[in-house]
Amino acid sequence: MTHTIAVAARQVDISFGSEEAKVIALNHTDFSAHTGELIMLVGPSGCGKTTLLSVIAGTLTPQSGEIEVFGQRLDGLSQEELTTFRRKNLGFVFQSFNLIPTLSVVENVMIPLLIQGASHAVAKKKATEILEKVGLKGREEGKPNALSGGQQQRVAIARALVHEPPLLICDEPTSALDKDTGAQIMEMIRELSRAPNRCVVVVTHDFRIFKYADRIAEMEDGKIKRVVDDPRTLDPTYL
Amino acid sequence: MLRLALNMLFGDTAKLAMLLCGLAFSALLMAQQTSVFFGIMSWTYTPVVNIRAHVWVSDPMVEQANDAKPMRDTELGRVRSVDGVAWAAPLHTSFLQARMVDGNFKLITMVGIDADTFAGAPAQLSQGQIDDLRLPNTVIVDEWGAQLMGRQVKGPDGKITTVPLKPGDVFEINDIEARIVGICKVRRAFTGGPFVYTTYDRAKSYTLGARRTLSFMLVEPVAGVTSTQLCERIENETGLKAWTTDTVIWDWTDRSLARATFWWFWKNTGIPFSFGTAVALGLFVGIAISGQTFYSFVLENLKYFAAIKAMGASMRVLSAMLFVQATTAGLIGFGLGAGMAQAIGRVMIEKGMPPFVMFPQILIATLVLTMGISFVSAIIGIVKVSRVDAATVFRG
Ligand SMILES: Nc1ncnc2c1ncn2[C@@H]1O[C@H](COP(=O)(O)OP(=O)(O)OP(=O)(O)O)[C@@H](O)[C@H]1O
Ligand SMILES: [Mg+2]
Repeated sequence: MTHTIAVAARQVDISFGSEEAKVIALNHTDFSAHTGELIMLVGPSGCGKTTLLSVIAGTLTPQSGEIEVFGQRLDGLSQEELTTFRRKNLGFVFQSFNLIPTLSVVENVMIPLLIQGASHAVAKKKATEILEKVGLKGREEGKPNALSGGQQQRVAIARALVHEPPLLICDEPTSALDKDTGAQIMEMIRELSRAPNRCVVVVTHDFRIFKYADRIAEMEDGKIKRVVDDPRTLDPTYL
Repeated sequence: MLRLALNMLFGDTAKLAMLLCGLAFSALLMAQQTSVFFGIMSWTYTPVVNIRAHVWVSDPMVEQANDAKPMRDTELGRVRSVDGVAWAAPLHTSFLQARMVDGNFKLITMVGIDADTFAGAPAQLSQGQIDDLRLPNTVIVDEWGAQLMGRQVKGPDGKITTVPLKPGDVFEINDIEARIVGICKVRRAFTGGPFVYTTYDRAKSYTLGARRTLSFMLVEPVAGVTSTQLCERIENETGLKAWTTDTVIWDWTDRSLARATFWWFWKNTGIPFSFGTAVALGLFVGIAISGQTFYSFVLENLKYFAAIKAMGASMRVLSAMLFVQATTAGLIGFGLGAGMAQAIGRVMIEKGMPPFVMFPQILIATLVLTMGISFVSAIIGIVKVSRVDAATVFRG
């Protein structure tokens, strides 16, 4: 298999706060991910995983360094251009699901299509189809809160993939779920996101799901410390 | 997306109810307070409404309808000789004390009308006949007065009820007998108590021979002459003051006695100020409540707007969503509030107290204000959403 670079971050710096109380979240960070792979970002709390993910997703602009996603430079884009970029290229799965409780399950899944300008009918049809794929046929019209945590996260996966984005970004997708449900969710992410042109980046603390990764990037103090192919070669403190 | 925006709004019944309550309450407050204000103000020119004629003529110093500067009876002849006058009738108005059978005194507005023409007589009698005013020592009392001056009786169960006055009952004005021959339906006045109608000549005796009793003259133009034209002629030829009697607040003319009365009370009494303060307070509270409820609606949804923003929704789409939500909530809230104000107003009109005049203009103004509040809230929401960092979606 030939893989092209999907995401490349070079010498990215991000810090928060004022001069006296400065927190360096990313420190000359280099990172890359390929199409067709599922890469995990692991590391201790506060090491900068979410920050790196936000930079890749174009929701956070670095103070310096380069970000390239599918050949497009994100640093230097305006907010509006970043919005358009996200709309076309990104799917999100959040730790806390972020489903809109006042909308039905299917309406939540329709959102990415609707903001791309799809008609209500087309969006509904596609959303219904993907909900069936994640095993939620028959639950379309209910409210998200009526579902279990695992089911809600499946709705979120459906929402993240309904518009077939090339880059799927998941921040702690299993940490609000129990072990078995977490495993099911990872199975689903792996299965549904397997596409030669798609790249999946998953931030996690959860060592039990390491086995779903093609590669694991270990972060420490705002830097990628190393990248391994086999989770068993990771620092045992994570396991 | 706009359809989803509405579903977001309607999805949470509890929050929606809160939001609508806030908007409806403020719309109610605005419409209600303004209507009562105009109701009170419309009571100031009640004599012009109750004593019906096309033109009123008064002493040139008179400023408003409740202000009598009696003229000599001979002025009547001068007015009658003005070209374009079909007829002119004398009118006496004064505030007097009426003594009830039980010895209590009540303030009344005495209206003495011309016994030949009955010009200025009440439009509607619920009991009795206007012609009976020609009998000696007779008066016609309005319904409110009949109630107010009625006899208190203690029932067998100890409850005190009021038996309203009816034709045949008698009271005294300045020790002169006043026998009721009719009960009329007229509008209540701001000053001077209930209306008691009698003839012009008898009014003279009730006022114990006051030197002059001609408070106003009621004048009718001949066909082809407008009230305004006639007013000008009368003023030019007699030096008296002539008024038109249009009472529609939105397009009353410069010569309108109602208008002059309205503004006289506006300038010379504390009523407009105290009521105006209440209206302003109503508006202020209304704006604060509805702005606040919509703002908290936006705050509660901010997290979700941030998620939608992260997914790539442009500010244009997000703004449209907020506008649709705000205007929809505003419209429904206005509808509920205006409906409630109408319902309360109907009860008030039935009871006659406090006065309540809900002009369509009040409703339109309330609508404009409610929508304005919704717009401003939407804009605040949009600013809030535009400031929210899409990156926050990753934080718990
Ligand atoms: N908006 C912010 N303002 C101030 N400091 C921030 C902000 N976001 C992140 N930080 C800081 O930057 C550092 C990296 O944070 P980040 O959220 O990327 O860590 P993380 O690896 O995702 O941690 P966790 O595993 O707990 O989620 C932390 O020290 C954090 O306190
Ligand atoms: Mg994190």
